[in-house]
Amino acid sequence: MSDRLRLGVVGGGAVLERYHIPAINAVPEVVRSIVIDVDAERAKRVAGRYAFPHSSSHLADLLRYADLAVVLVPNGQHAPVSCELLAQGVHVLCEKPMARSVPECLAMIESARRGNAHLAIGHNRRFQQHMKLAKQLFSKGLIGEIINIQAEEGSTSDWPRSAAYFDPAISGGGALLDVGIHSIDLIRWFAGEFDQLEYQGNGTEKAVESDARLNFSLANGAKGTVVASRTRNLAQKITLTGSEGFLEVGLWWPSVRIRCTKGKAFHNFHRLDAAVPRRPPADVSFVDQLRNIVSAIRGEDEVLVNGREGMAAVDIVSRAYHGGASQPATLPNFSEAER
Amino acid sequence: MSANPIHKVCAVRVENLDDLANGFALALQQLPTLLPSTLPPQVVIKPNLCDITAWETGVTTDPHWLAILARELRAIRPDVRIRVVESDAISAYKSHRSCDETFDRLGYLTAANEAGVELVNLSRCDAIEILLDGIPQPVRIPQLLLEEFYFISIANLKLHVYTRMTGILKNTIGLLTDAEISSLHSHLSILISRLFRLCSPDLCIIDGRVGLEGNGPIMGRPLRMDTILVGNDALAVDAAACRLMGISANEVAHLRQTARDAARNVRAFEIVGDFRPHPFAVDAARIHPAIQAKFANRRVHQRTELFSNRWIDRAFRFREDPVGFAKSAFSKFTGSRRER
Repeated sequence: MSDRLRLGVVGGGAVLERYHIPAINAVPEVVRSIVIDVDAERAKRVAGRYAFPHSSSHLADLLRYADLAVVLVPNGQHAPVSCELLAQGVHVLCEKPMARSVPECLAMIESARRGNAHLAIGHNRRFQQHMKLAKQLFSKGLIGEIINIQAEEGSTSDWPRSAAYFDPAISGGGALLDVGIHSIDLIRWFAGEFDQLEYQGNGTEKAVESDARLNFSLANGAKGTVVASRTRNLAQKITLTGSEGFLEVGLWWPSVRIRCTKGKAFHNFHRLDAAVPRRPPADVSFVDQLRNIVSAIRGEDEVLVNGREGMAAVDIVSRAYHGGASQPATLPNFSEAER
Repeated sequence: MSANPIHKVCAVRVENLDDLANGFALALQQLPTLLPSTLPPQVVIKPNLCDITAWETGVTTDPHWLAILARELRAIRPDVRIRVVESDAISAYKSHRSCDETFDRLGYLTAANEAGVELVNLSRCDAIEILLDGIPQPVRIPQLLLEEFYFISIANLKLHVYTRMTGILKNTIGLLTDAEISSLHSHLSILISRLFRLCSPDLCIIDGRVGLEGNGPIMGRPLRMDTILVGNDALAVDAAACRLMGISANEVAHLRQTARDAARNVRAFEIVGDFRPHPFAVDAARIHPAIQAKFANRRVHQRTELFSNRWIDRAFRFREDPVGFAKSAFSKFTGSRRER
């Protein structure tokens, strides 16, 4: 085997073509190997178009041809597909949300442990340049102690959706699990663990919610709201308000606005708008996400969003759906081996 | 304009080069409000270290200032953290010059050790790119500027072949973390004006014991002026420095721009102390024609660049979110009609 990792993808849909192919192009440490899709024709078409030498409709074929798999299937398939690959020693980068429920997440983590494989979850926004900048500014305590967090993300037509998105059995959830989980993950990353949850959504037993609102408090006492929607155009931003200023971070645009009441630069300016590169050749977050797991496999880095992090976000959504009363999930004893 | 207070600038004669401490003490006596009664936890000092040239030539700031200022500042707040900042630069010979080397060779390492202050290379610090009104490209500033601090700027009494003079206001350019800032030269006056708003010095010192006439800010001729100027307002101190060197502050584009943006009169300041102007000799500078053209055509260049950038930005916003763009354009249009 050469130094380059053989990469396979599971699921040949829009997310592969729009986000992951440009990322794969920009990571020369991996070599394309195989496309797996339930539709053999589509797998063949995608493989041919993007220069993957192999294609198949059988997951087992991936075990022969790949060291690392990018799992881009509907939510309900994340756990079964990832578990099978991880248990066989194939490293997995699985799209968000990690799975539909905490037990599925635990199964994935356990499979990674058994197969001695790395598991990364595709919360790509942590890798965005402006998110890293915002995290750096926040971590310096420039806005003081966090008091309130408001996150809004929603659009009427942001993504070509299949029926799987609307079926609770397949997707596991609606706007909160699909859209809001980005904000939930970022809030955890910025400000710490969630504590109390209060959920409002319009889902039913047969259909997932299209609008969701999650009021929460964090373990550090801050309060906030996550609003996620598939029917309304929302502000697409997270605003973190602290005792000495605020930080406003764009969810769809690479914008960071900051105000620190005591800061020298704010004696004459009400706020500063940070400039973040707007037109990179590929979405850098997907590139960096792939580079991160490749570096982890090579032993040069840690996986930034590992199974534990992915599960924590799913756990918050699950607790919200079930009334917010239950306690946060904890990992069993194998946590030290989990990557 | 008349509502603005008249800023005072203290001029002190320091005829013995080694008598700096007494000179500064005299300035504090003449203007007791120069230093505040309380200080924030952090003080930032920005000297002028534009080249690796000894301070006796009038090109760079004397490192002895560190001990003098540290003593005065600690008398106000004993636990104050004092940081001396400068960034990397492209030297007059077009080579990259590390600020760490500058600190070392100009004696700042020793002076900082003795005074118990920190030296900070801003080019190696965490930075943030920000958008400033009137500047068509992002400007990279250190994240330090987002923190609370008392800011002291120490400049030299120098002519400048491109901008007529350099002083406190132009010294703030050194807060930018990028060494290569030539692309900003055509917007220099606006940039300096914006930096004045962004990080206005609380204490401004122009060390004119040795001035620099002729082809400043580096290639000029040293001239003993035996004067230090101290004040709390950068524009006033720079205008006083102009008067000391025998040039009109209105001839200096960045002073004009800063005064205009701040709705100030560049001549509205009062000098306290021993002030003895002496006209500096201005050489017929041999400036490269391309540089002359860039500075001469500053406005034209700036307008065309702003115009094209604005349309490129609109095109990308339209591509990313056509509906949002249309709504925003419509609301701007109806808003402007309503204003009319």
